[in-house]
Amino acid sequence: MRRISRRPAPWLVALAATSLAAWSVLAVDRGEFTPVVLCSAASAWASVSASLDLALVFDSPARLAADWALMLAAMMSPLVVAPLRHVHERSFARRRARAMLLFLAGYAAAWMSAGACLQVLALATRSMAPAPLCLGLAALAALAWQVSPAKQWCLNRCHRRPPLAAFAAPADRDAFFFGLANGGACAGACWALMLLPLFAGPAHLAAMVAVTLFVCAERLEAAAPLAWRWRGPGKALRIVAAQAAMRLAPRLREAVS
Amino acid sequence: MAFTRKNVWELGGDWADPILWYARGVKAMKARPLSDSTSWRFYGAIHGMDQGLWQQLGYLSANDQMPGDTDVQNYWSQCQHGSWYFLPWHRGYLIAFEAVVRDAVTKLGGPADWALPYWNYFKLNENALPPAFASPNWPDGTGDNPLFVPQRYGPNNDGNVSVPVDQINLSALGDPDFTGSANGGSPGFGGVDTGFSHGGQVHGELETQPHDWVHGLVGGSDPQTNLPGLMSDPDTAGLDPIFWLHHGNIDRLWEVWRQNPPTDADPTDPNWVNGPAAVGDHAFMLPMPGGVNWTYTPGDMSNLSNLNYVYDDVSPPAGAPQAIARLQGLGASPAAARSLVGSIAMAGPKTVELMGANSQSIRLTGTEARTAVALDPAVRQKVAASINSLVGPAPSAPDRIFLNLENVRGLNDATAFRVYVNVPEGEDPARHPECLAGSVALFGVRKATLAGDKHAGDGLTFVLDITHVIDALHLAGTLSADQLHVRLVPVRPVPEAAQISIGRISVFRQSS
Repeated sequence: MRRISRRPAPWLVALAATSLAAWSVLAVDRGEFTPVVLCSAASAWASVSASLDLALVFDSPARLAADWALMLAAMMSPLVVAPLRHVHERSFARRRARAMLLFLAGYAAAWMSAGACLQVLALATRSMAPAPLCLGLAALAALAWQVSPAKQWCLNRCHRRPPLAAFAAPADRDAFFFGLANGGACAGACWALMLLPLFAGPAHLAAMVAVTLFVCAERLEAAAPLAWRWRGPGKALRIVAAQAAMRLAPRLREAVS
Repeated sequence: MAFTRKNVWELGGDWADPILWYARGVKAMKARPLSDSTSWRFYGAIHGMDQGLWQQLGYLSANDQMPGDTDVQNYWSQCQHGSWYFLPWHRGYLIAFEAVVRDAVTKLGGPADWALPYWNYFKLNENALPPAFASPNWPDGTGDNPLFVPQRYGPNNDGNVSVPVDQINLSALGDPDFTGSANGGSPGFGGVDTGFSHGGQVHGELETQPHDWVHGLVGGSDPQTNLPGLMSDPDTAGLDPIFWLHHGNIDRLWEVWRQNPPTDADPTDPNWVNGPAAVGDHAFMLPMPGGVNWTYTPGDMSNLSNLNYVYDDVSPPAGAPQAIARLQGLGASPAAARSLVGSIAMAGPKTVELMGANSQSIRLTGTEARTAVALDPAVRQKVAASINSLVGPAPSAPDRIFLNLENVRGLNDATAFRVYVNVPEGEDPARHPECLAGSVALFGVRKATLAGDKHAGDGLTFVLDITHVIDALHLAGTLSADQLHVRLVPVRPVPEAAQISIGRISVFRQSS
């Protein structure tokens, strides 16, 4: 009988540290930091008549891209654990770090492209409507997307684990394109939810935490047939309840007795 | 009352009482409508259900009244494959099915201690389909024998059903670890750690061989239509009365494996003991006679005697344990081999790493497919060093080597093929059993290929232990080759329409 090691792999520690560092920056610099153009209480959010031009004066494209990258590092790190494990396991040991970085490059490329589209959409919407209405519209869009078959199609593709070439340039290519495909599917699944922090104003950090927890929870579900139906964190809640009952309850009983 | 499961070939006749009563019980279940949770088809649908396939095979018609949504959600399509729950779920499935048959048997005046026989196709002259299943007639010559099904085509798709003994093996019994991993190394005797898994991607060792193989060879496919035999597809397998005797044998082999404690033991991980409900999934749930719902966990299934069941034979296969024989073959003394095997079984986590892979996906059509697996020289040297260390001053256990058939996709579950490594060029693989890496039947591949039904469409991954092939190369001094030549040889020609493809063929080393 084999004893299973519970010690996390170094790459998992590095990923967790990256995510934690990004969350720390977001939390510590909350007063001045503008994660994306309309998250900030200090700039465009304060101006109901903000236009695209004005917003871009406040926040250069480079700044917007950096802020978006920070959001991705914080929010999406948990979601790449499973596909990164696939890359890690199916690559030569000496190529693992390289392959995983290429996967992340592809994943980030997909999400940065999606981020540019989402921020333009957010800016355009904010230039035409007051903030509370923008948030309401975003919530409606997220809800409609959440129950749609299209969302399930994206989620199913997030679960794909393709074969990867092992040697030389084809291995690099496959790792990058796996990241691109996985990032594209992830952006497809999450884009509407990501609008919520963009329009949440002063509550953007809380909205980011809530969206992160939600998308991580829904990713625990297996692939499913395409259909109109509600998709929520049901499985995650069941896991928490079952594991608490299984692991904590006996200890509590022991402590009481 | 303890129930004893006995060898179907050793009951004292083709239609000995336990078989006759089984047939009568099956007939009673078949007479019930689909919506009855103790009907034959309802029990088949618990394993798996595909309305289109059932209609094509004549098991579902427009006149059938479907069960209520709650029954369908609670009970149907539960079979656990590609998962460490494979063995315990099927044990419960057998027990519940047996209870339903026994209920029918006793109502017909049969014995209250009736138990399901098992089909041990490994025994000499017992590999043919038991005669009571092969005839359309009852023993009195009347022609509605419920144990007979026409959609059972056999290894050659000609209706002659047997399990060729040279195509099955008990290698899985040599793995001391119940739980494996999906990382390219051993998938374990009992399968890999998963949540509820109606169709996981990596099949465990016992599941791959003999379980999948017997399903594929007994079922075969219709040579005219290419539709699968009932046994070949998880969505129809439970409709064939021989299914239950096959799984009786698989369940018995679990008990055989457990005869060697403390190494060959079931998992103690709470996620296995408490079952899929512990990881947020559907608990195992089956309908019992009288409308009773039975919920059970893998932990409930671990001890067979607590369930009041015994098998008439749980003796281990003859010969020295495989691991000891391997080490002695590589030059270790008997004492050192025994000592090392003990240390391997109790060792901590294994290191698994990729050793080589082919360069592109391959299609399997017709009678053969070939590919070359390029090996990484540095990893190959690690393997050679691990083997050499066995005869050094401080012997340590050598690596095990696994061939992975990754992302196997296709539309025909009846596809079965053997995998050979380094057969000399121009020679018939069948003449080189020493080059046989293993046998793969694609039980479940269709559903695993079609995205959207609990699958992402990646297909299945099969893991074959090719340690013996690598050892032979080492002993022959040819392990320094840059490539392994792999040949896939189907049991029956594979039609183009089956669309069988293998995403990558790779080789992994696993430290002992």
